[in-house]
Amino acid sequence: LSTNTRNRTLIPSFQRPASRVMIRRAASYEQELGTLIYESLVEFALPVKDKVVLLKPNLVGLDPLGIMNTHPAVIAATRESFLRLGASQVLIGDGPAMDRDTEAILESVRLREFVGPLARIFVDLNIDEIERVPLATKASRLKELYMPKTILGADLVVSMPKLKTHHWAGVTLSLKNMFGVVPGSCYGWPKNVLHWAGIDNAILDINAAVRPDFAIVDGIIGMEGNGPIQGTPRASGVLVLGDDPVAVDATSCRVMGLIPERVKYLAYAGTMLGHVKSDKIQQVGETVPAVRLRFAVVREFSGLSDAA
Amino acid sequence: VDIVPAEESAPTIAELNLDNSFAENVCAPLLRDAQNSDGGWGFHPGANSRVEPTCWALKALMSLLAPGTLDGDAIRRGCNFLIAAQLPDGSWPSTPQEKTGCWVTSLACWVLEGKSEGQKKYSEAIATGLSWVCGDWPRDSGWWQRTLRRLSSGKQHAKHNDSARGWGWTPGTSSWVEPTAFALLALETQQGQKLPSAQKRRRLGEALLYDRMCPGGGWNCGNPEVYGVAGEPLVIPTAWALLALRKYPERRENIESIAWMEKNFSAIQAPGSHALAGVCLAAYGRKGIALTPSASDLHAKNESLRSIPVAAWMTLAAGHPQNWLASGKHS
Repeated sequence: LSTNTRNRTLIPSFQRPASRVMIRRAASYEQELGTLIYESLVEFALPVKDKVVLLKPNLVGLDPLGIMNTHPAVIAATRESFLRLGASQVLIGDGPAMDRDTEAILESVRLREFVGPLARIFVDLNIDEIERVPLATKASRLKELYMPKTILGADLVVSMPKLKTHHWAGVTLSLKNMFGVVPGSCYGWPKNVLHWAGIDNAILDINAAVRPDFAIVDGIIGMEGNGPIQGTPRASGVLVLGDDPVAVDATSCRVMGLIPERVKYLAYAGTMLGHVKSDKIQQVGETVPAVRLRFAVVREFSGLSDAA
Repeated sequence: VDIVPAEESAPTIAELNLDNSFAENVCAPLLRDAQNSDGGWGFHPGANSRVEPTCWALKALMSLLAPGTLDGDAIRRGCNFLIAAQLPDGSWPSTPQEKTGCWVTSLACWVLEGKSEGQKKYSEAIATGLSWVCGDWPRDSGWWQRTLRRLSSGKQHAKHNDSARGWGWTPGTSSWVEPTAFALLALETQQGQKLPSAQKRRRLGEALLYDRMCPGGGWNCGNPEVYGVAGEPLVIPTAWALLALRKYPERRENIESIAWMEKNFSAIQAPGSHALAGVCLAAYGRKGIALTPSASDLHAKNESLRSIPVAAWMTLAAGHPQNWLASGKHS
């Protein structure tokens, strides 16, 4: 067993107890999400009292229509829920990959309208103070990465992706979302060094180094096809939550009608970071069949579909 | 590669009056106060010094510099921070702990050029830096990668002309729009023009920028089309690409892109993009742009000025691009 920079121990999956993943129905962003998310978090009894929580949404680009980024209503409701649970501070942080003008992205998604003034809440992870982190897992060619100190110093990191397919990785969920913690000020816009290191393996290395503690997938409106930016919006009406991000991603794949064991990085992640197999995931809330859809994927990933 | 130089006459520089008083009264003092004791700047006041924000702060203060002002000492200390941060191979790293150089090398050379006249240590630093820039070829368009792609039966997802080669953010990766634009600006300096290998790199780099333009004008990070879908241009890459290509104002691509910028200018909601778009329009001699919202409006709305690069860009936007864009000298 080894311990990462945030003092999270890496436990091989065969030694881990079964994970719990919750699926909640949420028809729209206009509905009352605060109570729904608060009640869901209570179920997981997270140790957040007096802790610093960092929410890591997926903010990939200018999005006035609200189709590619984690919706601000979900971010705001989650922030309120963690404060209600006793967190001392709930920060929001991301390092957008394609556009260095994070302010412009925040404006386009209207985050201030939902969360209020951002100066003391939002951290642009692209230009945060950094620390060199050795990569113990060495899944990719990268031996080390610089990471934002805000991420490394948070007591609880919550990955909050959008439910999307991805043209290079198959799907982009809570694990792929962690690409956003790698600082653009070191690696550029996009963080191309991660692509050259192998996207799948870089996802594993980053997640092993950061170890997000919780995941909340915004699947109220997802994106199918040529995601993560140019895909087609797909109303899916769900939130998927859990304290094993690998299991949350596996369940989210099943909700999209995709087989998680066929997503390369998820299959690997299932050996060391969490559970992918359905018999190791205790599903609570809605069942997968009750909310399952069939998301379109680009041709290269047609083999992921459970209809293939 | 088909580059047609424009006529000799440089584009007219228009004065856009981008909130001069705001830049002088708010942005410049913030930059002055945020300089660290080591001479550098961090991305925020109080943050550890890094090469990129130091370059932007220096560029902004140099653009304001008048004889006898106190900024002369700040600039000297900032330049010395850059000199100390340079790696033995001539490159600059993004952060002082790093031992590998990257795209900020172009920025450092571009900025130091403003101090180089009669200063041997700066000239030498620029010379080794620019040599590193000229020798930093992107990996994606190298012989081996091109051969692999030719042998691959898979369809290419993104349409790129592999004969055009620019610069990546980090060594051994792909060409992207912004680092290519910064390298072109660095090689445009007097010292850059003297380098024998620079001419070929400039030609290939310009070709790369034109190849990566989005259909209809403007640039994003460098993906004009993926899976047959046209990419959406973004303000900042478009501004830097247009500034790097400003000697070709009559080219169709420049005309389309500056038209895109003009059309989108009034919709910009963030001060960093707003400032760079203003600089770009001024460099192309555009007058009469409606400046709403103003930089100060955006600042009040976004609480943005803790960012050193944004404060620097807003300062630069308040002046004349001709004062700092080319290889202007600041004694």
